[in-house]
Amino acid sequence: MQIFEYNGSALVAMVGKNCFAIASDRRLGVQLQTIATDFQRISKIHDRLFLGLSGLATDAQTLYQRLVFRHKLYQLREERDMKPETFASLVSAILYEKRFGPYFCQPVIAGLGDEDKPFICTMDSIGAKELAKDFVVAGTASESLYGACESMFKENMEPEELFETVSQALLASVDRDCLSGWGGHVYVVTPTEVKERILKGRMD
Amino acid sequence: MPKEQANWSPYDNNGGSCVAVAGADYCVIAADTRMSTGYNILTRDYSKICKLADKCVMASSGFQADVKALQKHLAARHLIYQHQHNKQMSCPAMAQLLSNTLYYKRFFPYYSFNVLGGLDNEGKGCVFTYDAVGSYEKVGYSSQGSGSTLIMPFLDNQLKSPSPLLLPAQDAVTPLAEAEAIDLVKTVFALASERDIYTGDKLEIVVINADGIRREYMDLRKD
Repeated sequence: MQIFEYNGSALVAMVGKNCFAIASDRRLGVQLQTIATDFQRISKIHDRLFLGLSGLATDAQTLYQRLVFRHKLYQLREERDMKPETFASLVSAILYEKRFGPYFCQPVIAGLGDEDKPFICTMDSIGAKELAKDFVVAGTASESLYGACESMFKENMEPEELFETVSQALLASVDRDCLSGWGGHVYVVTPTEVKERILKGRMD
Repeated sequence: MPKEQANWSPYDNNGGSCVAVAGADYCVIAADTRMSTGYNILTRDYSKICKLADKCVMASSGFQADVKALQKHLAARHLIYQHQHNKQMSCPAMAQLLSNTLYYKRFFPYYSFNVLGGLDNEGKGCVFTYDAVGSYEKVGYSSQGSGSTLIMPFLDNQLKSPSPLLLPAQDAVTPLAEAEAIDLVKTVFALASERDIYTGDKLEIVVINADGIRREYMDLRKD
């Protein structure tokens, strides 16, 4: 039994022109049984920073709670929101603290940094950061997502086109993975608004 | 004393990816030419594609020693068929033969992931996809090998085949023109070479249509 494939997940984040999109599937399973079809994998840290956690769902929830706690403390002390780059370093440090008994999660972080520059990154379960300029993927469907994103990605896409691209890539990839699916959650974030959309996909 | 496990395996994976796409009157079969073992490259110039009959071509990835043995076996059986029936084997017939050959070694399999492509008796393109022990299916397009998890979702998105369970039965072959299908295959391998370390070097494309078989090559990333 593979621990990273216990619950099943698919996460992708993509960079556009002064905007980014972060998307996930909606299935929560226990090996081959589906438990929930509306599971939220992506959480808002603040208006311009989103965190997606793939892998073991219990670790994802615990990690999310710890990170929200740390961010709230930061907000109290610094009287401002955390920058995405800083948050990524915080996640990396928290994961590495558990180097020899890790959280079985792979986070995807997406945010708008200084001057509204989009920032995306992912890391492995012990905090090795991977900064990318185009897209990052995580979860059981990650190989399929690599293929789909690599072919559909273009630079400097506007929010509407970015939404279409991320949605097509996500749905095509989860359709080839038994452990993820049941639709998608897509967040498209620009400096002025956050649009959350739910995709209808194959329900199997 | 704890039981010792054998740490010698008769199999190896030489990597690589294969793709086949069926059209209304053509079939495109493609594979990269890289042969590797572990993290090393053995050669950049190895063909994974084998012509089994006049209108039937097979591309296989996996363990190339088993692939070579399988190709020899099928070629020998095809020769016998030609002597006995005075004609070439059709693609659907070869597909069944390949399936039976693979299942014959069910308990010591050929480590070979195959796609068979060609024209059926009416001249329409057909693609058959296999697992290592001979389970097969006639489909409109398929990919096998190390890059298949990256390639399949993209092919699904571009060539969406209707379900074989629908009634009335719908055609699985793509309505794309031959040149467009070849372009699609080239795109697909370019994308697989980017993210799969075992796919790259050169792409070999074989196109079967009413005029016969022709071969094309394209350079891929060498890293």
